[in-house]
Amino acid sequence: MFSKTTTASPLSKARDHVLRRLMLDRQVAFWTNELAPLHAQSGTGSCRARVGAIIQETPDTKTFVLQPGRALTYRAGQYVSVEVEVNGVRMHRCYSLSSAPGGDEVSITVKRVPDGRVSTWLHDHVDVGAILGLGAPSGDFVLPTDVTGPLLFVSGGSGITPLMSMARDLVQRGALRDVVWVHYARSAADVIFGRELAHLARTQPDFRLHLCLDDEPGAPRGFDEARFTALVPDYASRAAFQCGPGPMMDRVEQLFDAAGAAGHLKREAFVAAPAHTPSVSPGEPVQVTLLRSERAVIARGPGSLLEQLERAGERPAHGCRVGICHTCRCTKQSGTVENLLSGELSSAPDQEIQLCITRAHSDLKLDLA
Amino acid sequence: MTRPSRTLSREEADAFGRELDALRQEVVADLGERDLRHIREVIRVANLSEVTGRVLLHVGFGPLSFVGGVSALALAKILDNMEIGHNVMHGQYDWTRDPALDSHAYEWDTVCTSEDWRHSHNYEHHTFTNILGKDRDVGYGFLRVTPEQPWEPRHITQPVGAALLALLFQWGVGAHDLRIPDVIEGKEPFLPFAKRALPFVQKAGWQLAKDYVLYPALALGNAPRVAFGNLLANGARNLWTFAVIFCGHFPEGVRVYTEDEVANESRGQWYVRQLNGSANIEGSTAMHVLTGHLSHQIEHHLFPDIPAARYPEMAPRVRELCERYGQTYNTGSFPKQLGSVARRLLRLSLPGPAVAPRAATQVAEAAAQATTARAPQRAPLAA
Repeated sequence: MFSKTTTASPLSKARDHVLRRLMLDRQVAFWTNELAPLHAQSGTGSCRARVGAIIQETPDTKTFVLQPGRALTYRAGQYVSVEVEVNGVRMHRCYSLSSAPGGDEVSITVKRVPDGRVSTWLHDHVDVGAILGLGAPSGDFVLPTDVTGPLLFVSGGSGITPLMSMARDLVQRGALRDVVWVHYARSAADVIFGRELAHLARTQPDFRLHLCLDDEPGAPRGFDEARFTALVPDYASRAAFQCGPGPMMDRVEQLFDAAGAAGHLKREAFVAAPAHTPSVSPGEPVQVTLLRSERAVIARGPGSLLEQLERAGERPAHGCRVGICHTCRCTKQSGTVENLLSGELSSAPDQEIQLCITRAHSDLKLDLA
Repeated sequence: MTRPSRTLSREEADAFGRELDALRQEVVADLGERDLRHIREVIRVANLSEVTGRVLLHVGFGPLSFVGGVSALALAKILDNMEIGHNVMHGQYDWTRDPALDSHAYEWDTVCTSEDWRHSHNYEHHTFTNILGKDRDVGYGFLRVTPEQPWEPRHITQPVGAALLALLFQWGVGAHDLRIPDVIEGKEPFLPFAKRALPFVQKAGWQLAKDYVLYPALALGNAPRVAFGNLLANGARNLWTFAVIFCGHFPEGVRVYTEDEVANESRGQWYVRQLNGSANIEGSTAMHVLTGHLSHQIEHHLFPDIPAARYPEMAPRVRELCERYGQTYNTGSFPKQLGSVARRLLRLSLPGPAVAPRAATQVAEAAAQATTARAPQRAPLAA
């Protein structure tokens, strides 16, 4: 997901080696962070950004206007990985950029997800002046560089953000022609960018906006095929972009499929926190993928993951076998594990685990050879 | 002398362990921004101190700026080695996922490689703490620090040996994981040893080049002053870390264990051994930070991967538990503990004293228990 850092030249590698050996690397990192925090290295490998402004869009959605340390090149519709320290723990989440490309500032628009650690932290603890890490923009949910034909945007809830970036981009390029936008929300107060959308609808002659609100009397709740086709009878002939909750997008897709227009529809999957992977009881066989050697082994039987891996013929680095020396530490990229000391279950991605005090509760992906 | 700890049955030790586990979980659940702020503040002071020290040595003149420069640089090195390096490398801040605080990536400003340290210290010393024949930190292979070690004529010179080790402590620490005596005794052939030793030799070379060639060269005419200042700063750091570390396991009252005693040890019994094998130093907050909180050696050995700045608040709870379970909580002022170590090193350079019968009965008790309650080999997790 994050862009891998480009291969360094031999010269810069030698320089880094010498700096590290002379213990100057971390002094450089420290002083950069003190004196020019936006230019300090970010864990995501791209850049850092200062929060320049915060806009309360709806009761549970905020836009964070960010000033990156260096210009961010992206296309409307792409997303970035945002790195934030949540109560001292670095965490990453992907957010669509809601701004139009080309400016000095970029913005992300974040809905507060109940129990979402990152979104809750951003809402409650991140103020103007805070510094966040940004990954390289990525994603292929983008407008064609040359927009000619009629367009259709379909969005639900906070799925509006990448489409807003596209609309702003079109306006900026003077290319906003024949666009129909159908947006689904719970109520008028929950429409993110509601005023800007209304303004567009008023000022752009070829822009049509349909808001479908759950609280309208007599209206169907959420997506409804009959209503949709009535609103946009020519939907199948438009280049369509949709982003919203999975079930809504599935139904739009079925509609396009039935009309033989599946090729016209582009879909952005919501980047949500990973779901819990199917769980097995401890000891049941699970597949452990060793990412560094691109192999998979079956771990089964009693004991910790370390013991299971050893039984499967693996020889992971280890020391004390009781959780104190951290020699067997590795990164779990996905899967559910239990910490044997605390009994805590966790499905968090990119989590540090110690093999000797971990039990697998699902298939796992480990950053091991 | 403090009264020795009561021998705990396996069940009692496990109950004791469960209470410590609960305390551990309580602190783990509470880790957060405050811990990160603390370590970043220490890193800040260390960096400011290093720059101050180097500037005073490089462009200053006269004895006052020299003393100031050496002190500031020594402070930077002490903070880097103790509160930052030692603790970060224990994995105390791995939960933050900050690459600058990654236990497997941190390299400290001393000749010991972090890789060797994580093996000899985090694994060997913290797992096999005070087990004769397994924990090579008991006397570092040449000192007699407990009467249980058999006396040999070479121990007569150990006061001098210990003093030399104090002055050159970073070299002792750096060479520790290389197990040089094994090579001298012919237990390991030279070539594999040389291969193992290469990273240490490389790091030592860079460290010497940094402090005695590069920085002096940058100071031009002030080169001798800078080289000498760096030598004194390294030396001061050596003396301080030696003193702190020797107070951790060698004062009077600290116990050693035999391999038989710890056979089939449970997690609770592991806790009991860590407690009885360690000693604290009392002091101010600043003193605790300067020792990397190794002044809370007991809490450190019970919870080696909990951020060390948490030890002072955990200590009263540990102490209360010790009282309830009849365990001695070995603590004292720095002069008291250091004096105790010095007296011990002197006394044990001579033969004797006879080993107290306490240890002998405990060996017998442990052996009897081991036969009645055979626990699985990896009992610590089963508990």
